[in-house]
Amino acid sequence: MNKLGILVSQLYKQKIRSKSFILMTLLYIAIISVVMFWTEISSLFKGEDEALQIALIKETDVNLGQIFVSNEEIEFSYHTKDVKTNMYEQVKDGTLDAVIVFSDENKNLKAEIATFSPLELNDQSEISSLIQYAGKIYAIQSMNLSAQEAEQILNSEPIITSISLNEAGTEGKSEDQKQSGIWVSYLVGIVIYFFISAFLSMITTDVASEKGSRALEMLLVSVKPSTHFQSKLFGVFLLALTQFAILFGVIFALLRFTDGGTKWDMVTSLVQDLSYSYVFYVIVFLFLTIFLFLIIGALFGSLVSKVEEAGQVMMPAIMITLVGFYVMISGMANPDTLLIKIFSYIPLTSGMVMPMRIAATDLNTIEPIISLILLIVTVIAFYTLSLSFYKRSVLTYSSGGVIQKIKSVLKFTT
Amino acid sequence: MTLAIEHVVKRYKDFTAVKDLNFTIDQGEIFGLIGQNGAGKTTTFRMILNLQEPTSGKITWDGSPINSINRDWLGYLPEERGIFPQMKVEEQLYFFGKLRGMKQEEIKKEVDFWIHRFELDEKRHDKAETLSKGNQQKVQLIASFIHKPKFLILDEPFSGLDPVNRDLLKDAILLLKEQGMTILFSSHQMDNVEELCDHLCLLKRGVSLFSGSLLDLKKQYGKTKLTIRTDMQKEELVKMVGVKEVKQERDEYVLTLIDESFAKGIFDVVAKGQFIEKFSLDYLSLDEIFKDQVGGDNE
Repeated sequence: MNKLGILVSQLYKQKIRSKSFILMTLLYIAIISVVMFWTEISSLFKGEDEALQIALIKETDVNLGQIFVSNEEIEFSYHTKDVKTNMYEQVKDGTLDAVIVFSDENKNLKAEIATFSPLELNDQSEISSLIQYAGKIYAIQSMNLSAQEAEQILNSEPIITSISLNEAGTEGKSEDQKQSGIWVSYLVGIVIYFFISAFLSMITTDVASEKGSRALEMLLVSVKPSTHFQSKLFGVFLLALTQFAILFGVIFALLRFTDGGTKWDMVTSLVQDLSYSYVFYVIVFLFLTIFLFLIIGALFGSLVSKVEEAGQVMMPAIMITLVGFYVMISGMANPDTLLIKIFSYIPLTSGMVMPMRIAATDLNTIEPIISLILLIVTVIAFYTLSLSFYKRSVLTYSSGGVIQKIKSVLKFTT
Repeated sequence: MTLAIEHVVKRYKDFTAVKDLNFTIDQGEIFGLIGQNGAGKTTTFRMILNLQEPTSGKITWDGSPINSINRDWLGYLPEERGIFPQMKVEEQLYFFGKLRGMKQEEIKKEVDFWIHRFELDEKRHDKAETLSKGNQQKVQLIASFIHKPKFLILDEPFSGLDPVNRDLLKDAILLLKEQGMTILFSSHQMDNVEELCDHLCLLKRGVSLFSGSLLDLKKQYGKTKLTIRTDMQKEELVKMVGVKEVKQERDEYVLTLIDESFAKGIFDVVAKGQFIEKFSLDYLSLDEIFKDQVGGDNE
């Protein structure tokens, strides 16, 4: 094995067995499992709750039976207006959670909700939507329409189609596609953000600790600084790939082998919705962005004199990832803003922002390609520059901020 | 001659770390590079190790430029102590051996030998960060020569070691020399340099004040250190011809002479033809020469 291979394998073996890597991976798996099985988990907790008891009292002629149907969470009972006072007493002593009295007011349905302790937001909204529906039915009933006419009003939904008059352009995405694109891109953004933060910190600390402990000086007698730099980059990148593969494997297994594969079917249809080129772009952007940040991390790690200073030099890079992350979050509300467009081209943030534009907006195919080329060019430029700078910075020990440290390196090596 | 440093200069933007340095080291010898902090020792080591480029001048090994030789011929112990804190002692030595192109069996043989010799048997499975400073230094030292380099550079190898470990290290250096290794080392402790070195170079602010054999350096000063035990008073000794300085050390006087030729006259006066308990004429110790050469204007 050549020296690069020995260094990479030593770093890889050491890190993959480290408690922090194992804990980080387990934590991700736990989070993924909780997110994927949220409905099952929440029902576990909800299962023990008793259903809400709600009494419905009609003071006007309205058909409620088909609308207010009891389920696991709410149980409705129907009463006449003469038991109203009795019902109120039951609310006060806790037998009932609420009483809803329906009456007529200027041919509109009026519903008065009486409670002793306020209802939870979820229950409130569910009951409100049921009452609104009942209100519509009541209005239709009062117009004396035929059953078909009533049906037509209730079920009417506009048919929306869009066509592109630009012959050269591609067909626009439907709103549904854009919505799912936003959510998937949000998840992708989070993954990129967490991966960058974790591995940036890992490489910076590792280089800083070797430099601080002077182990680096002993290594550099045997290997070139460029080989050492590459070993850190490839070793940590390999770890990132390993963690990605583990998490991807876990997600795949969970989707494929639980619930009889229904979740897997959902995901495949979602991916088809988003197109395979989207998946390709996400993966390429993810790994190139991680690689770019690793270059920066190794370079910054080589600037410090001791490991305690690693946090200080990492700050600028962490800030950039945070900016990218928040710009991406802002795209959740509106992915078509100028801010999003600009950040989707900046190489350090494009990995987080561009996937959202690809999935949630109708952009020209050339745009992600330009952004990707910019990212690739930046990675190559940073890599080349860093190789020569790293050679000079690893053996220069200086104090002060990042700028001061860079100045010292230039002063002592030129 | 194996290593040759010729007219080497290392200049930074606003200061010169090494000015026109010249010395040579023969194969199998121990060479000492001595000087105060900031004299340019570490910069010189780094230039030899090709970690820094000289501004001008050349460094050659057996006639070939130093940057063209096999890196595994070199071994280096940096001045600052440090190894991989999270790695176990044995793991650490195996890693360095492997990196230097050694085979597993060779590494095992060397690791077993040196761990035992440096009395680290009980620590071989401990993490480096749990070891005492002295033990960490021993591990780092083994790591620097585990691959049996042709040329070993030790930057301040004795600092931080207790007397017992210092002797262990001294014996180890002599053993490595016997095996044919060429060794260049720096030290602030002149007694170590005096005991081990065949040749040395005295550096002051990047300038070489002397380069050559230890004996030649001492001969430059001559035998001017006279130690006597006598009933005479200090005042009487100071007045004698050829005496530069007198110091009292317990029941003895240490006289610094202007020249060794004055010793006989002093003997005649002090002994007066009678028995005298102690009259010893010596070369100056390296420590005294060092202080004379670089002292006086300490930063």
